[in-house]
Amino acid sequence: MTQTTPIATGSGTGVGSRRTRVGAEGKVRGQLRHVADRPAGGAAHVAVHRSTRPHARILAIDVSQAAELEGVDAVVTGADLHAVFGERVFTGPAFSDQPPLAVDRVRYVGEPVAAVLARDVATAREAAELVYVEYEDLEPVYDVEDALEGRAFVHDHLKPSVVFGDLRHLSGKSETNIAYEYNLRLGDAAAAGSEAAETAAHEFWAPPVHHVPIELPATVAWVEAGRLELFTTTQTPSYVRQSVADMLGLPLSHVRVRVAPLGGSFGSKMYDRLEPLLAALAWTQKREVRMVASREEAFMLTTRHGAEVISSMSADAEGNIVAASADVRYDTGAFADVGPRITAKSGMIAVGPYRVPNVSITSRCIYTNKPSAGPFRGFGVPQVTWSHESLVDELARARGEDPAAYRRRNLLREGDEGYMGTVIHSADFVGCLDAVTEAIGWDTPLDRGEGRWRRGRGVAVGIKAVLTPTVANAVLQLNQDGSATLMISTVDMGQGSDTIMPQIVAEVLGLDSEQIRVVAADTDVTPYDTITAGSRSTYHTGNAVRGVAERMRERVLDLAAARTGSAREDLKLDSGGVLNTATGKRYSIAELVHEHFGARGATLTEEYNFTTSWQPYDKATGRSPKVTEHWFAGAVAAQITVDRKTGRVHVEDLAVAGDVGRAINPTLVEQQLTGSAIMGLGHALFDELVFDQGQVINGTLLDYQLPSVKDLPDRLTPIVIESPHATGPFGAKGVGETGIIPIAPAVANAIRDAVGVRITRLPLSPERVLQAMNQAGVEE
Amino acid sequence: VRPPLHQPTSLGEVCELLDTLEDPMVYGGGTAIQILIKQGVLFAGNFVDLSRVPGLDGIEESGDGLRVGPMATVRRMETTELVRRRTPLAAETYGHVANPRVRNTASVGGNIAHGDYRLDPPTALLVLDARVELTSVRGTRSLPIREFFVDFQVTAVEPGELITAIEIPAAAAGSTSAYVKLSSLGANDWPAASVAALLDPERRTLRLGLGALAPMPRYVEVPLDGGGVDEAVKSALAAVEPELDPIPDIRGSADYKRGLGRVAAEDAVRRAWEDAR
Repeated sequence: MTQTTPIATGSGTGVGSRRTRVGAEGKVRGQLRHVADRPAGGAAHVAVHRSTRPHARILAIDVSQAAELEGVDAVVTGADLHAVFGERVFTGPAFSDQPPLAVDRVRYVGEPVAAVLARDVATAREAAELVYVEYEDLEPVYDVEDALEGRAFVHDHLKPSVVFGDLRHLSGKSETNIAYEYNLRLGDAAAAGSEAAETAAHEFWAPPVHHVPIELPATVAWVEAGRLELFTTTQTPSYVRQSVADMLGLPLSHVRVRVAPLGGSFGSKMYDRLEPLLAALAWTQKREVRMVASREEAFMLTTRHGAEVISSMSADAEGNIVAASADVRYDTGAFADVGPRITAKSGMIAVGPYRVPNVSITSRCIYTNKPSAGPFRGFGVPQVTWSHESLVDELARARGEDPAAYRRRNLLREGDEGYMGTVIHSADFVGCLDAVTEAIGWDTPLDRGEGRWRRGRGVAVGIKAVLTPTVANAVLQLNQDGSATLMISTVDMGQGSDTIMPQIVAEVLGLDSEQIRVVAADTDVTPYDTITAGSRSTYHTGNAVRGVAERMRERVLDLAAARTGSAREDLKLDSGGVLNTATGKRYSIAELVHEHFGARGATLTEEYNFTTSWQPYDKATGRSPKVTEHWFAGAVAAQITVDRKTGRVHVEDLAVAGDVGRAINPTLVEQQLTGSAIMGLGHALFDELVFDQGQVINGTLLDYQLPSVKDLPDRLTPIVIESPHATGPFGAKGVGETGIIPIAPAVANAIRDAVGVRITRLPLSPERVLQAMNQAGVEE
Repeated sequence: VRPPLHQPTSLGEVCELLDTLEDPMVYGGGTAIQILIKQGVLFAGNFVDLSRVPGLDGIEESGDGLRVGPMATVRRMETTELVRRRTPLAAETYGHVANPRVRNTASVGGNIAHGDYRLDPPTALLVLDARVELTSVRGTRSLPIREFFVDFQVTAVEPGELITAIEIPAAAAGSTSAYVKLSSLGANDWPAASVAALLDPERRTLRLGLGALAPMPRYVEVPLDGGGVDEAVKSALAAVEPELDPIPDIRGSADYKRGLGRVAAEDAVRRAWEDAR
């Protein structure tokens, strides 16, 4: 595919403009209507009774007291739903292992066991507490070590969903907790490693964390004329339509999924969250039902995968990285969710953005009796970056080389074939590295401090592949007055798609992007789109949007040629409308469309599809010549102080860079880089979901902490690197995850620099840092 | 089911309600109560809301100190000029509570009535020798704050009583002070250790209030015998040591918190000492 649209100045609100975020004022003023703002009307409020056991058989459920409570309309169990839907009640994007309410067996503390429908939330919640369940405990699988020992199994049989053909061979497999295993083999990592001059090897741990979007998950469902309607907080309306249609046995035309602007998500509102349950309840009870998760419930809906990485990296006498290995263990919890995809996509880059001739990677998605882990900004990559960016730092230090310079000479460059078999294009790792180190003054002398306060600098680089293959569609209506309406199923959750997609249309058609509106995703109206996730929308949906705008431009020019008798090749479209370059005459879109239809307010409609393809992994090596449509490249540099007495880390200076190909809206790109850096800083320093025997013990905002304004670095610099992608819309790629990926290792490397200790478990809590300093005998 | 909310408009009515209702609980700013309700660990039969009773939110001069009504917000203790001038240590400490949103809502009375061991203000109130005024249908009594905190989330408030004032004496002219709060998670979190220190003008006595370091706030008085700051620190640490009995949780092990307590104590003493120069 070639770039067909020249970059024009347009109306000043097109590509490259810093136009204000759409809906910003409404958000600040609380005027934007979110899903939970829909009036409840006569809907039944749903509350859920949850499992108190990590792993147990359900012997009996007594719902009589709950059902008798005044104001309760119905109490529904997993058995009730199974009686109606059979095995279709189990859903999930990779494995059909997830029931809306537990059927026969519970697999984590907090799993929904029964649902109450009542006249108000308080009654529903009170009744939910009056449900009594008799359990027979089964041996729990608390962590990946338990799981791999294979004494107990979270699921009796693996049940891959029909969606992914490549998982079919796993169907029916039993006596395993490994849902999926990906292996990459290049050269002979063991032999090359043993002959190497220098090897760094460690065991790393990144704990599960939670997304904590401001807006809580909410779903409203009802049946209208034999169709199921859902109004819900989801990043994946097209997926939800399919999932619910499959469960209810309905044609896609009979399931409608609508979305309002999301108040943040970060991967938490994807695939099967509240939707299957609410759909099943609405369908079986013939009622409008609604549920707004409480903050505490949201913590149990999904998490980021905790991951153990046992890894090593080796260099020859000249310092070239010659071998790397990683054994990656993703804890996916009770349900696979999209864990198998995370396992492969993140596993395949588990040794980092480096030239490595000998690589061995094993990446496994492992069931445990914990809340299900799913997608989270970064899609499993921050966990492996934690490993490779710590190892490469140790190699540099062992050789006495500057960690930035050492990375620089080993980084993958444009045109290199990476160890996973795919060529690197539009991923300027070196540019990102250089930009962040320069921003914090890496080469300037550092006052290292003495006594209590020690100072250090650290850097880290990240690589991530975009989800491939995927499908994007766009429908554009050009209104007679020259405004336009764009129909896409990308969900704006704060990333700014409603702002930048109109900029792309505006650039092509010479319109003012302020006059172009994006229709909120509605599966009855907006066309199929795989998902809004994995930083894929700017590139994929952006290409569909550019394509549809270009078709519209041709349509308008055809129409102008026909109506004005001009030669088609003399016509061009710009911000002044259609120009006949031969005669100098101009025709406005408004008059052309008006005259064409003989009607004011008429619309022209076009559609466009953009689909990417990949080549599946080679069965023997796990490599592929096209594993991804494009790459993300990012880097972070940090200057920190460590308090020798308390172990507390303070970030003085932090720079974050991402190669975005081309910034459609530089302000939004900077905000994404900044936002993900702050989120990543939380994961680096104190964010962690703590479990005790399968139970989350800090699942409230009192105990689960997020960075506040007081935790920000003294200085935070987002840097936009533009290495245009040949097939990106105007060269653009996404940026939602780039900044979060290298944060934690950059901070850990700075600690290493400041006080000489290498910490391999996240978060870098003060107690952990202090312990490491005490053990290493760092002087007070 | 949530307990009924009563909204009396006079102190007399409040006392009547507290005397007659079953399991009543005074409702001030609500910042602690709402959390406890959400966690399902609050057991009260009735809430008696003070927000409609006039005259309970005053911050007034009293002698050379302050008399503070229970409904004064934590934020006003931080920002009011009178508090900053008369009891700078109190103003500083109240300014460390949670975040501005909470400080604007939380009340001074509710804060100590909660009796939580991690709260910031009690550390300052202990060293300043504040008194708590308690009122009920039986009348009014005044209690030293040093006798107010009895056990883990238990205070000396008797059934039927509410806090009607906190009296905070100004420290002797020339006294110096400091408040040190060390958190292990976010900067706005509860402390994992906190210490308020007050040094008299002659540097004869060091008063220390400890937060988050035992199941209840603790008070320590350290006589000084004329040495320098290093000796003061040494004496302080020796006096603090037996009081350190922290509760381990996700914010740190008991050992770690004990260590933080020593750091906070030393920092507070040194800052109070430097303040004097």
